[in-house]
Amino acid sequence: MHISEGVLSPSILLAGAVVTAAGVAIGLKGMEQEEIPSTGILSAAFFVGSLVHVPIGPASVHLVLNGLLGLVLGWRAFPAILVGLVLQGLLFQYGGITTLGVNTMNMALPAVAGYYLFGWGVRRPSSPWVLAVTAFGCGACAILLSGVMVGLSLYLTGESFLLAAKLVIIAHLPVMAVEGALTVACAMFLKRVKPELVEGRHVPQN
Amino acid sequence: MCHRTKKGPRPRIGICGWWNIRLCSAVLAGMLMSGAAWAHKVNIFAWVEGDAVHTQSKFSGGKPAKNALVVVYDDTGNELLSGKTDDKGAFSFPAPKRTALTVALKASMGHLAEWRIPAEELAGATSMAEGGVKRPSEAALASLDRPLAEGRHVGGDRTVVLAGAGVSREEIKALIDDALDKKLAPVVRLLAESVDRGPTVVDIVGGLGYIVGLAGVALYAANRGKGK
Repeated sequence: MHISEGVLSPSILLAGAVVTAAGVAIGLKGMEQEEIPSTGILSAAFFVGSLVHVPIGPASVHLVLNGLLGLVLGWRAFPAILVGLVLQGLLFQYGGITTLGVNTMNMALPAVAGYYLFGWGVRRPSSPWVLAVTAFGCGACAILLSGVMVGLSLYLTGESFLLAAKLVIIAHLPVMAVEGALTVACAMFLKRVKPELVEGRHVPQN
Repeated sequence: MCHRTKKGPRPRIGICGWWNIRLCSAVLAGMLMSGAAWAHKVNIFAWVEGDAVHTQSKFSGGKPAKNALVVVYDDTGNELLSGKTDDKGAFSFPAPKRTALTVALKASMGHLAEWRIPAEELAGATSMAEGGVKRPSEAALASLDRPLAEGRHVGGDRTVVLAGAGVSREEIKALIDDALDKKLAPVVRLLAESVDRGPTVVDIVGGLGYIVGLAGVALYAANRGKGK
């Protein structure tokens, strides 16, 4: 998922940076004081998640956790992922500094999409089955969309889209399954011990 | 700290909760053992041995990058040759030019890594590849062995013996290069293995510390705004 420095063309890097800047602005603007700790904790989870390797598939693949971030944070996933990526870039040399914008966009935009597509099942008081299915969908779809976006970034630079996207998506199939399950586990856990975290402030108290 | 949901079938979630806790602890354990973890970054390391250039490609943490494209460029950025890595992430090629080379690893999914081989490292190798200096013939080597043995036996001066063996300066140099390559091979391999061992515990804890600090700063800023 981390695109290296020197792979993409400057116009795509710029476009990614603009989208990321907008996303971070939206995320920070809507952030309440009570939401700061959860954003930080999930940013930390994202930062460390990249160290958990999924030993299946042809390439080296790691957890991304962007579905979980999207589910809990919504737009706040943008600043959380940006912070995680900056630190991964500086400390682990994953990705790069010039590709920060594109990489953040590729991982955070699917997170936000997951929030809108699947968030309802987790925010509302619903049966455990609905909760499990939507959480799994959120975790898996965020990875799938990220794979498509990475493929798209590479395609716009000149690689053939089908080949690039196919490679990225096939490599991440096991991650989709693992992340889906992990998102379900985390969503159920949070719903039980700290429901206000996943339910957000939009849910009327009853 | 523990708030329960007011709605929803409790026992079921309770069972799932236990499962969750076990899963979470498994994930945590995995994170703690991150010394052996891999992640998305590629490395390439190249070295010269004789007249061949060997490369070793891998993902950070040590998993070999199999079947990945390796492209070799010269000083001015012209593509000289390319090839695919084998099952161990290795790719070797005969040194094509005397100039400095840049070996680029293009793994799939936007991963790129480069290694530069300076011209000095290649100087000896390419001169041999171009046929500038011939290796000593078998006969010359045999004649070299015999007087050396005799010289050792009688405790004579080696340089005198060597001079008598009819081996040219270049040939001796080539022999020494060969021997050094052979002796240094394990060291070079070790270096290739140890180039980037992946993130250390210090990096991980440091990163977490930064995040905690950032959250603290954000909270501080938010609090100050509230006070006014």
